[in-house]
Amino acid sequence: MRLLRLFPIINIVSFIILTQPACKKLVEVSPPVTSLSSGNVYTSDATAAAVLTGIYTQMSTTSLTGSSITAMSFLPELSGDNLTLLSSVAPASWISYYTNNLTNANGDFWDIIYPNIFVVNAALEGIAGSATLTPAVQQQLLGEAKFLRAFYYFYLLNLYGDVPLVTGTNYTINDVLPRTPRAQVWQQIIQDLKDAQTLLSANYLDATLLNVTSARVRPTNWAATALLARAYLYTGKWDSAETQANTVINNSSLYSLSSLSTAFLANSTEAIWQLQPVNAGQNTQDAQAYIIPPTGPSYIYAYFLSNALMSNFEIGDQRRVVWVDSVIANGVTYYYPFKYKVDSIGAPVTEYSMVLRLGEVYLIRAEARAQQDETSGAQSDLNTIRSRAGLQPDTVSSRTGLLSAIMHERQVELFTEWGHRWLDLKRTGIVDSVMGAPGYACQSKGGVWNPNWQWYPVPLGDLQTDPKLVQNVGY
Amino acid sequence: MQFTALSNQARHALFERGRTRPWFSTKTQLVMKLTSFFLLAACLQVSAKVHSQTVSYSAREVPLEEVFPVIKAQTGYVVFCNANTLQGIKPVTITANNLALEDFLKELLKGLPLEYTIKKKTIIISPGVVGVNTNNEAATPPPADIHGRIIDSLGNALADASVTVKGSKRGTGTDEKGNFELKGISDNATLVISFTGFESQEYKLNGKNGVTIMLGRSNNVLDNVQVIAYGQTTQRISVSNATTVNAADIEKQPIDNPLLALEGRVPGLFVAQSSGLAGSGVTVQIQGQNSIQNGNNPFYVIDGVPYTPQLLTNLGGILGSSGNSVGGGGSPLSYINPSDIESISILKDADATAIYGSRAANGAILITTKKGKVGEMRVDFNIQQGIGQVTRKLDMMNTPQYLQMRHEGLNNDGITPSMANGDYDLLLWDTTRNTDWQKALIGRIAQYSNFNATVSGGNSSTQYLIGGTYHRQTAVFPGNYADTKGSLHFNINTVSTNQKFRLQLSGNYLIDNNRLPGTDLTNAAITLAADAPPLYNPDGSLNWEPNGSGASTFTTNPMAYTLQSYLNKSNNFISNSIISYHLLPGLEIRSNFGYTNLQQNEISTQPLSFYPPEDRIYNQRTAEYSNNNINSWIIEPQASYKQIFGMGKLDLLIGSTIEQNNNNGQILSGTGYNSDLSLANIASASIITAASTVSVYKYNALFGRLSYNWNDKYLIDLSARRDGSSRFGPSNQFHDFAAVGIGWVFSKEKFINDNLPFISFGKLRASYGTTGNDQIGDYQFLSQYNNVGAGVPYEGALGLIPAGLPNPYLQWELTRKAEGGLDIGLIKDRILLNATYFQNRSSNQLLGYNLPVITGFSSISANLPATVQNTGVELTLSTINMKTQNFTWSTHANLTIPRNKLIAFPGLANSSYANLLVIGKPLSIYKMYHFIGVNDTTGIYEFSDSKGNPTYNPTYGIDNNAIVSTLPKYYGGFENSITYKGFNLDFLFQFVKQIGANYRFGGIYPGNFFNGIANQPIWVLDRWQKPGDKASIQKYSSGFGLFTQYADAAYESDGEFTDASYIRLKNISLSWQLPKAWDKTAHLQNSRIYIQGQNLLTITHYKGMDPENMSTTRLPELRILTVGLQTDL
Repeated sequence: MRLLRLFPIINIVSFIILTQPACKKLVEVSPPVTSLSSGNVYTSDATAAAVLTGIYTQMSTTSLTGSSITAMSFLPELSGDNLTLLSSVAPASWISYYTNNLTNANGDFWDIIYPNIFVVNAALEGIAGSATLTPAVQQQLLGEAKFLRAFYYFYLLNLYGDVPLVTGTNYTINDVLPRTPRAQVWQQIIQDLKDAQTLLSANYLDATLLNVTSARVRPTNWAATALLARAYLYTGKWDSAETQANTVINNSSLYSLSSLSTAFLANSTEAIWQLQPVNAGQNTQDAQAYIIPPTGPSYIYAYFLSNALMSNFEIGDQRRVVWVDSVIANGVTYYYPFKYKVDSIGAPVTEYSMVLRLGEVYLIRAEARAQQDETSGAQSDLNTIRSRAGLQPDTVSSRTGLLSAIMHERQVELFTEWGHRWLDLKRTGIVDSVMGAPGYACQSKGGVWNPNWQWYPVPLGDLQTDPKLVQNVGY
Repeated sequence: MQFTALSNQARHALFERGRTRPWFSTKTQLVMKLTSFFLLAACLQVSAKVHSQTVSYSAREVPLEEVFPVIKAQTGYVVFCNANTLQGIKPVTITANNLALEDFLKELLKGLPLEYTIKKKTIIISPGVVGVNTNNEAATPPPADIHGRIIDSLGNALADASVTVKGSKRGTGTDEKGNFELKGISDNATLVISFTGFESQEYKLNGKNGVTIMLGRSNNVLDNVQVIAYGQTTQRISVSNATTVNAADIEKQPIDNPLLALEGRVPGLFVAQSSGLAGSGVTVQIQGQNSIQNGNNPFYVIDGVPYTPQLLTNLGGILGSSGNSVGGGGSPLSYINPSDIESISILKDADATAIYGSRAANGAILITTKKGKVGEMRVDFNIQQGIGQVTRKLDMMNTPQYLQMRHEGLNNDGITPSMANGDYDLLLWDTTRNTDWQKALIGRIAQYSNFNATVSGGNSSTQYLIGGTYHRQTAVFPGNYADTKGSLHFNINTVSTNQKFRLQLSGNYLIDNNRLPGTDLTNAAITLAADAPPLYNPDGSLNWEPNGSGASTFTTNPMAYTLQSYLNKSNNFISNSIISYHLLPGLEIRSNFGYTNLQQNEISTQPLSFYPPEDRIYNQRTAEYSNNNINSWIIEPQASYKQIFGMGKLDLLIGSTIEQNNNNGQILSGTGYNSDLSLANIASASIITAASTVSVYKYNALFGRLSYNWNDKYLIDLSARRDGSSRFGPSNQFHDFAAVGIGWVFSKEKFINDNLPFISFGKLRASYGTTGNDQIGDYQFLSQYNNVGAGVPYEGALGLIPAGLPNPYLQWELTRKAEGGLDIGLIKDRILLNATYFQNRSSNQLLGYNLPVITGFSSISANLPATVQNTGVELTLSTINMKTQNFTWSTHANLTIPRNKLIAFPGLANSSYANLLVIGKPLSIYKMYHFIGVNDTTGIYEFSDSKGNPTYNPTYGIDNNAIVSTLPKYYGGFENSITYKGFNLDFLFQFVKQIGANYRFGGIYPGNFFNGIANQPIWVLDRWQKPGDKASIQKYSSGFGLFTQYADAAYESDGEFTDASYIRLKNISLSWQLPKAWDKTAHLQNSRIYIQGQNLLTITHYKGMDPENMSTTRLPELRILTVGLQTDL
C-alpha cells in the first residue's frame, strides 16, 4: 500500500517530465548497426577499402546476363557477330540486342555504370577528405577509384558516344548535366589513368591494402598502364599506346603468356586484373553463362558461337580446340566458349574472371606498331599470339594487311571477352560493312542495319528527367 | 424469482444421468462443484430453532453470504437468496452489538442494491431496484441538498455519470464511488441520470434523499460502447465517424485473421485477402488510397498498444503481401486470435484519428480484447470443426480440346510438331490421359478446427479472464500442410477499495506453426497441359518423363514444388497494463505501458531433388532461414479531467506518447549441403551468407483533447497532437496535427419533437482536421552504406555500397479530412439511418522523385506537391423489421460509394508515374491499349493507336491511352439476423461493383506449350479459324515469335478488363440455443450448437478463379463450413 500512496506522486513527476513539449532526444536515432553512414565509412582503412571491395564484389556476383558491367562480355557480343541467339525462346531484351533493334527501354549499361561512377566519386570525395586513413592505403584507394572511373567511362564512351561527365556526387548539379563531347571524356579517362598510374601500387595487394599477395584481383599500376595503352590505341595515339604497352610487356617477371589451357586460371601469369568469383560453390560467371549443358540449348542457354566466328578460326588454331567446346542436341552441333571450363557446382575455385590480360596488350602493341609502320615489331607481337595458338607466323607486311590480320586475330583471341569485338568494329570503322552488308551479320540475325545502331540508345528515364540530355541520332 | 435449494442427493442423481455422456468429464464435475459453491451454504439449511432476535456481529470486508449462517445461528431465521442476486455484491463491513434483526439487516444491506423481506422465519434477499436508506424520510423543507448514488445492475458504482435536474439547468456528475450531491433543489424534483452505454433514467425524488439509483444497460445500438482513441463513446453522442464490430459478429465467422471479419460489415473499409492460404496477406484500406507510393496501411492499435501493419522482409512470399510492396509476405494480424477479441473499432474521420497524429492518415483500427466481468466463475467452451474447399474452379480444356488447340496452333504457324521444338505433349506424352489438375493440385478438402476455452469471473474489485485457443487449418494442396495455432489470452482488472486506484493488465500470446509448399500450386493447376504425365512414377518417385536422350520433359512437375518447403514458426506477445489513480474529483491520472514482441522464424528449403536429374550438377541445395523480430514498447502517461457544469459535460485529456519500435531481422542463406535431409540444419551448410535488417523507430508526442457536451444536444470535440518521429530529417522531425468535430442532436430540440414526433433520434455532425502518414522506411534521411553480400568475400573482406541518396528534408504526408454526417432514428430507433460524406485530401506526397541515373540513383525520396483526393458516401441502414416475443428480424445494410482522384502532380508527364497516373483520375488506373477485337480477315487482335486507327502492333507510351479504373464503383454488405425462440440465423452478403483484370485471353498464349504449361480455359475455344470468323480469341499459335507482340498487347489492353463485380454470401451462421431443460440435465448453461459458413456462394461474371484476389497464381479464398458447440459450465 505504500507503493500505492507513492503512485500518484510518481505519476505526476513522470508525467511532467515526459510531457515536456515533444523532446528532441526521444526521436533521435543513431544510424542502424547494419549500415555505416558517409560520416564514418571513410574514417578507417578497412571500411574505406570496403567501398571499393564492394564494387569488385558486385561485378563478380552478377551473371554475365544480369545487371553488371560484366555483361560487356555478353550483350555487345549479341550486337556483333560472335554469337547466335535462339530467338524463339530468348527473352525480348536479348533479341533487341541481337537484332540491333534497341529502344530507349534498353538502358542496361547506362543504368549499370552510372551508379558505379557515383560510388567511385563518393569514394574519391570521402577518401581524399579523410585525415585518418593510413597514407599508403589512402593513396592506393584513390588510385583504384580513379582507375575504376576511367574504366567505366571507357565503356560508356564506346557504347554511347558523348556521355555526361559526372565527377562529383551532388545530385542537384548532376541531374542537369548535358552530354560531354567524346574528346573531353577521353581526356578525363586518360588523366584519371595517369593519376592512377602514380597512385597505384606496383604490387598486388590484399584487402587491407598493406600486404602483398599473389591474387591478381585488385587493380595495380600495371592495370592502369594496360588500360591507358588501350585508351591511347582507341584515340590513335600510337606511340603512347606502344610506350604504355611496352611497360607492361617488359615486366616479364610478373607477366608472360600462359598456355591456352592455363590462361584463364586464377592468378595466371597472363592476368593483369582478374575478378575473384564470390558466389558460393561457383567458379566464374563466364563459365556459368556460356557452357551449354549436355541436353542442349534452352531458354536459359539460348545463345552459342556464331558460324561467322567459327568459320574465322584458321585450320589448326588451337584456340578453336581449347577455348571452344560443343554439344550436340537433336542432331545439331552447338559451339560455345570454353575459355572458362568449370561450371559444375561445388567444384574447387580454380578459375578467375579475366578483365585485363597480357594477350590483349600484345595485340595493342602490334596494332600501334603497325600504325606506325614498325612492321617487324608488329609482326613479332602478332606472331607471339599466333604461335601460342599453334599457328604459323603471319608474314603479311603491308600496313593494311597487318591491321586486318590483327583485327582477325583480335576476334579469335578476344571473343566473348569484354565486348572487344563490338568495340573493335566501331573504332576501326568497319562496323557498317560487317554488320550492314547484305547477307552479313545484322541481316543474318533477322535485323535491319542502320549506321546509327552502332551507338546504344540513352534510356528514356534519363531523357525525361534530365532536360539537357539528348538522344543518340536514330532512336 | 427462482430459488435454488438442491439437495446433495438430487445433484448426485442428476450427475448419474449425466455420466452417460462420454464427454462429461471429471473436469466438468469440478467446475460444477465450484458453481454450486456460489449457491451458498446459507441456502441449504432449513431447520429452525427459536433464538433471540438480536444479532451481534462485527466483520470487515466479508462476503455477504458469510453473514447468513451467523444470522441463522443467532436468530434461527434462514436467509434465502438466488445465487445470481449475490453476483458482484461487494464484501460488507459491519459492526453490530445486540442489534435488532431488522436493524441489523438494514445496516448490513446499506448501500447495496438489495432489499429484504421477512416471511415467517425466512428472510428473502432480492435485488432492489432502489436500495433505500430511508432514515431521512421525514419532511425536509425544500430546497434541500440532495445526495445519492448511481450504480449498475451489479452494484458497481458508476463514476462520471451525469445527474441533472429535469426542467432546470442544474446538474452534476458522480464521483468515483458513484456518489453525487445537488445542493439546494426541491426534494420533489425529477432527476435525469445518464451514463455512456446505459439507459437514461428519470427518477422522481418524491421527497426522498440519499437514494441509490440503478441504471440498466441500454439495448439501443445508439448506446453501444464504441472504443475510440484514448477513451469510449457511443454513437448517440459521438461526433466522429467510427464503426464498431463486436465479438458477436466476429465469432460468427470461421476465420483465422480478425481483419477478415470486417469484410462487408464496415462502410468505408475495403478488405481484400491475397490468397486462400491460412496466414495470407490482407490489404485494408479505410476511405480509399491516400498515398501514391507509400504505405496505405491503417494504424493498428491492440488494447492501446500500436501494432505493426507489416511484417519484416521474410521468406513468406507464398502468403502474399498485405498491401505494401515492401515488407514480408503474410499478415501480422493473423497472429491475433479472433476469439479473444471483444470489439474492433474502425476510426475514419479527422475527429476520430487526429489525436493519433502522423500515423493515422489512413485511419485507425482499434482492437480491444475480452475482459473479465463481475460474476461467478464462468467456464466457456467453444468447439468448432469443419471443412474448407476452393470456392471457384475454372472450366479448363479437356485433352481432346487441348490437343486440337495445340495442333491448330502449329498448323497456323506452318510447323509440324517435333521433339526438337519440344512438342512433348503431342509426341511423347500419353495423349489419352486427361487429368483435372485443379482437382489433383488444389482439390483437397481442408480441415478446419477451432477449440476455445475461457474461464472468467470476478467480484466488484477484481475481475479476471483467461482463455486458450487451439486452431488448425490444413491446406488444399496434396501433402501434409497445415497452419496450427495455440494462443493464450488473459486479463486482470482490479480496483482499490476506495475506488481510486485501478490496475488493468492484459496479455495475448500466440504460437503459430505454418507449413506450406515452396510455391502455390494454383497456377500449375490451371495451366498444366491436360495430357501432362502422372506426377509420380509407379515406384513413388517424382516423374520427370525423360525423353529418349534422357532430358526431362516434365520439368514443371508441380510436385517438385512440394519438395521445397516453407515452414513459418511465429510467436506473438502483446501486453498492456493501465494504471490509473483518481487524484481529485474528476481528475484522473493514468498511464499505459505496452509491450509487443513478434518473433518469426522461417525455413525455406530447396533440395536437389527439386531439379530435374540432369540439371542437378549445375545446382546446389540451398536453404534460407529467417529470424525476424519486431518489438515495441510504449508509455503513454495521461491526465483526464471530467466535470459536469449543470447541463454541460466537459472532458479534458492530455497525454504524451513515448514509443520505440525495434526491428531486427536476419535472413541466412546456406549452400553446400551434402544431403537433402540436412537442409533444416544451418550447421550443415558449408557456406552461409547473411542479410540483416536492423532498424529503430522512435516516436514521441504530446496530445490533448477537449470535449464538451451540453445536455447531449450540442457536442464539440477539439483534439491536437504534436508529433516527433525519427523517420524524418532533423529539420522536420516535429509537426502539429489538429481536428475539430461538432455535433447537434436536433431530436432533442423541442420543435423537432413537436413537429416530427416520428424522429426518435437525429444528429448532424461535421469534422475537419489534419492527419499524417509516416509510413516510409526508417533512416531514409541518412546517407547509408550497406554490406554487399557475397558467398565468398572478395579477398576475404566484406564490401560496402551506398544505399541511396539521403534527403534530410523528408517529412510527413499530410491528409486533410473533412466530413459531414447525419444520423436519424425513426419509430423509437427501430430504423436507424446513417449517412456520411467525406472528402480527404492528401498532399505533400512522399514519392520517389525521379532523377536521371547519371546522378547515381534513379530516384530520391522526397515530398512532392502532388495531391490525392478521396471522397465518398457511406450509408448504413439498420432496421428492426419485426419484433415479437419469440421472433425478431433485423437487417443491417451498408453501402460505400468511393471516389478517388489525383488532383495535382507537378511534372507528372516527365516522371516515372507518367504511364501510371492521370490527373483527374483515380490512382488505381491502368493506361492500356484500346482493344478492338479480332480482325475477322487476319485473325489477329487489333487495337486503336493514338489516332484511333486500328493497328496490330501498338506502341507503349504512345498508344496506351485507354484508361481503366479498377476502383470499385461501390461496395457494401447486407446482413439479416433472424431469431425465433432458440434459433438464430444470420447471413451476410458482401458485394462489390468493379471491373478487374480477368483471364479472358487465357493464360500464356493459346496454342503455345512451354515445359508443360499450356492449358487454357474453355472460353478460349471461341477463336478465329478462318476468314470471316467472328471470334473473341485470335488464331492459335504455337510459338512466342511474331505472335507474341499481338498477344502481349492484348494482355496490356482494356480488353483484359471486364466486369469483376460479385455478390458473395460471405457468412452464414445458424445457431440453436439448447432448451434450458437440456442444459439443466447436462449441467450446462447457455449451450448452443451452430453451423457456420464462410464464402459459401459467389455470384459473378468474372472470368477467372476469384474476383476478390483476381489472381491466377494465388489460391482463391476457401469456402469454409463448420459445426460447433458452445457452452458454459
